[in-house]
Amino acid sequence: MDVPTTVTTALEDRPVSGAVCLEAGAGLGNTTAGLLAAGASRVYAVTTNPDHASHVRKRVAPDDTDRTAVLEADVRTLPLADSSVEIITAHGLFNVLAPKTLDAVVSELTRVAAPGCHLVVDDYDPLPETAAVRDLFALENAASELANGTPALTFYPAGVLRRSFVAEGWEYDRERTLLDPVPWTEKHLRAHANAATALASKLSPELADPLTEAAEHLRQTIGDESVGQMYSLAFRLE
Amino acid sequence: MKTRPLGETGHDSSIMTFGTIALNWLEQEGADQMVELVLDRGVNHFDVAPMYGDAELKLGPKLRQHRDDIFLGCKTQERTYEGAKRKLEQSLNRLGVDHIDLYQVHGLEYEEELDTITGDGGALEAFREAKEEGLISHIGLTSHSEPQLILDAIDRIDDLETLMFPMNPVVAGKDDPDHDYAAVLERAEEEGIGTLGIKAFAKGPWPSTDELPEGDRPYANWYEPVDTPAEIAERFDFAASQGLTSVVSMGDPKLMAMVLDAAQRYDGMDEAAQRSLIERLRHEESPVPEQLHH
Repeated sequence: MDVPTTVTTALEDRPVSGAVCLEAGAGLGNTTAGLLAAGASRVYAVTTNPDHASHVRKRVAPDDTDRTAVLEADVRTLPLADSSVEIITAHGLFNVLAPKTLDAVVSELTRVAAPGCHLVVDDYDPLPETAAVRDLFALENAASELANGTPALTFYPAGVLRRSFVAEGWEYDRERTLLDPVPWTEKHLRAHANAATALASKLSPELADPLTEAAEHLRQTIGDESVGQMYSLAFRLE
Repeated sequence: MKTRPLGETGHDSSIMTFGTIALNWLEQEGADQMVELVLDRGVNHFDVAPMYGDAELKLGPKLRQHRDDIFLGCKTQERTYEGAKRKLEQSLNRLGVDHIDLYQVHGLEYEEELDTITGDGGALEAFREAKEEGLISHIGLTSHSEPQLILDAIDRIDDLETLMFPMNPVVAGKDDPDHDYAAVLERAEEEGIGTLGIKAFAKGPWPSTDELPEGDRPYANWYEPVDTPAEIAERFDFAASQGLTSVVSMGDPKLMAMVLDAAQRYDGMDEAAQRSLIERLRHEESPVPEQLHH
């Protein structure tokens, strides 16, 4: 169960050992794996995506089933008690949250945080204007806006997330650069092109066809690109 | 080219070590030119072995001409006293020199071998005798095997002065004990043992011989190498920034100029860039089809 170096780097200065932890937005369970490896007493891995939930369950089995609870839930309405969690991680969560949901998520994470709780927020800086992958993400966002009325991806500057949490009472601790540059591999690009295509398929053919074609064209012409930065912010609740 | 102390040997090795197996693929004139090239670029540490075809013979003339400028590492796969003594003699003869700076146990694979080497009548007896006789100056060991075996070797060979083992971002991205060469590096540092990195430029194993017959491989390497200037430079930078004394060049002579260029330009690699490389390669290797996050 390899833990990405981004995760180990983000967690290495946090007191994970023996702590009750929440991975908000579990994805494929990278941070859950990192928290377990660092000695967490319990990890709540929360995701809205049933495929991700099932993947995380398989990933932690058979060794760590008793320390892990995979919860299919929205991070705005966590099935956890007030002040019940000692470490919260949001590793690559916020970029998939639309700006209108930001406040609700920050409040909910704060609600479940116990006094003295540590929070780690890892995410991507906005990409420079010269980045080719911007075009693919822009296309995915256009398809998402047209299909769902909300963007698929938002890259928040570190300062925006920092101010949001500080406004809820969190004390800012530190910022680290996890990746510089960020490697957007062929796999990432294919995943994003597929996401754009899936969103476009909900639209009328006049919109869907050119969007699909453009997504595939961008995926092929870009191939892969290493650009931008991934940051890690850490906070503590007094 | 920058140099670093090779453990406590007293020698400062260039951050690139010339893997002289490359000479095996060249005619003598080309081999001579390659030795002149790497020396001109500031490489002072060479590594050779009797199993590298004609490499010892082809290195000979230029080695003798520039003997004082070259720290010469050689090695043997023999595990017994008699075998190792014979192989050392053979290497000295084939190289045409009377002294090898560093003599290494080559390719340690199994715990039983370690028993043989360190036991009565084992290869290390021949190494130590040769050291007393002034035929060699330092004792080392090379291994592609699991890190724990190398750690055991450190425990069991008190006069071990150098280690050669794999180090690259693919290996560094794996957590399991079978890939924990970082632990070897750390231990070697504590013990004052010099470290030489191999497989820094490995892209992956060659396709199966059904898919690509051995004779159709484009490079004379043990593994499929990265082969663009940018990739070679980032792989060199990564390996050199892990704290190794020196990074061993690739086996194929066609790639040597790029490795030399990378070594000459080396100026460190910050940690976020190291992680970036690990992450990129982790995704390329990952069996998970759609991994969106880093």
